[in-house]
Amino acid sequence: MSNPKVELHIKDHGIITLELDAAKAPKTVANFLSYVNKGHYSNTVFHRVIPGFMVQGGGFEVGMKQKPTDGEIENEATNGLKNDKYTVAMARTNAPHSASSQFFINASSNGFLNHTAPSGSAWGYAVFGKVVDGTDVVDKIEGVKTGNKGGHSDVPQTDVIIEKAVAL
Amino acid sequence: MAATMSSARELTAPPAWRTVDFISDLHLQAGDCQTFTAWQNYMQTTPADAIFILGDLFEVWIGDDAVCEAVTAGPGHQASFENRCADVLRNAAAVKTIFFMHGNRDFLVGEQLMALCSATLLPDPLVFVFNRQRWLLSHGDVLCLDDIDYMQFRQQVRTAAWQQAFLAKPLAQRQAIAGEMRAQSEARKLSGTTLVDLDAAATREWLHAADASTLIHGHTHQPAEHDLGDGLSRVVLSDWDLQARPRRAEALRLTAQGMQRICLV
Repeated sequence: MSNPKVELHIKDHGIITLELDAAKAPKTVANFLSYVNKGHYSNTVFHRVIPGFMVQGGGFEVGMKQKPTDGEIENEATNGLKNDKYTVAMARTNAPHSASSQFFINASSNGFLNHTAPSGSAWGYAVFGKVVDGTDVVDKIEGVKTGNKGGHSDVPQTDVIIEKAVAL
Repeated sequence: MAATMSSARELTAPPAWRTVDFISDLHLQAGDCQTFTAWQNYMQTTPADAIFILGDLFEVWIGDDAVCEAVTAGPGHQASFENRCADVLRNAAAVKTIFFMHGNRDFLVGEQLMALCSATLLPDPLVFVFNRQRWLLSHGDVLCLDDIDYMQFRQQVRTAAWQQAFLAKPLAQRQAIAGEMRAQSEARKLSGTTLVDLDAAATREWLHAADASTLIHGHTHQPAEHDLGDGLSRVVLSDWDLQARPRRAEALRLTAQGMQRICLV
């Protein structure tokens, strides 16, 4: 069985195709696909973009309105997948198992985000797939101008909108 | 404008408590790392079983949602100043009991923050029973009857209507308003207004009504013990300022042996 693929259609930028590793991150992939399939990611934005680091989205609608999410999922950062450039991982709060819908694409190899120990900040961020097409689109998102908006920092000044996410 | 004290709530210390600390008026703000660090160290290392924070822990508090913004964090997220303060409170609450009373600056601290930090919001005033003695605790602003301007302001901002209206504004707007108010307050201080102290008669009334002999409070930033006659007294907490020279940071400590001021600089 091949790995599931998801297309993120980014308004005015293009399509990012993600290949998800269902074998190494089964819970994370199932959770992600659940949001994809019910249209959660439609009209959400990449709300946090830090060049040389990562681009993060999947949680806010245009206008920085936070979307309601389903429950938190277990952190699968122990799966051996590394936060290499163009991998996709789950965002979360400081609590290790607090990921829900937000994800980020690594814009460089961020080894310090990998799991090193099951405690506190060493828990790491769970990688669950990688970009297999559209890395140029990721690069374009990484390069947009950002600023502060509504108490958040690193927000693209012109919205970077996920028009829809489609499971192939 | 009389400050009547209807039956104050009471809190009795569990027998296991040997040491209880009181702090107030730290006025924590993002621009002052030294005071924050001193407070963080103190909260981690104090041997107290319980810490009573009697108002103005924060220079300003614009709403608990300043902390709950943490839900949007991601990798490498730099926690806001409010988040970092909440972390200190939460970590301390894991090993000791933390009590919080509103001050004139941070009266918008709410139940959300308390729940997040496992701390308890206390009414003002409160009777605290420890070592078979009754102590009256208050931030102290309510008893500064001669501070007419402040008392009018206080009456306005302590209504549910005013607070709901303020908290309904977007976070960024509240941050801007807080900035303006802070600037005005600094300007007022520079113009050399004389400090209003607590009204002695009203304080005695409160102590009689509470059947307590000693009031512990902050707000005036003038640490001292005042004999009010009739065996009554009030003990004033120091404020904290690790940027001032000389530096100021102090806790008042109660044990079975009595009361002492612990210098923390």
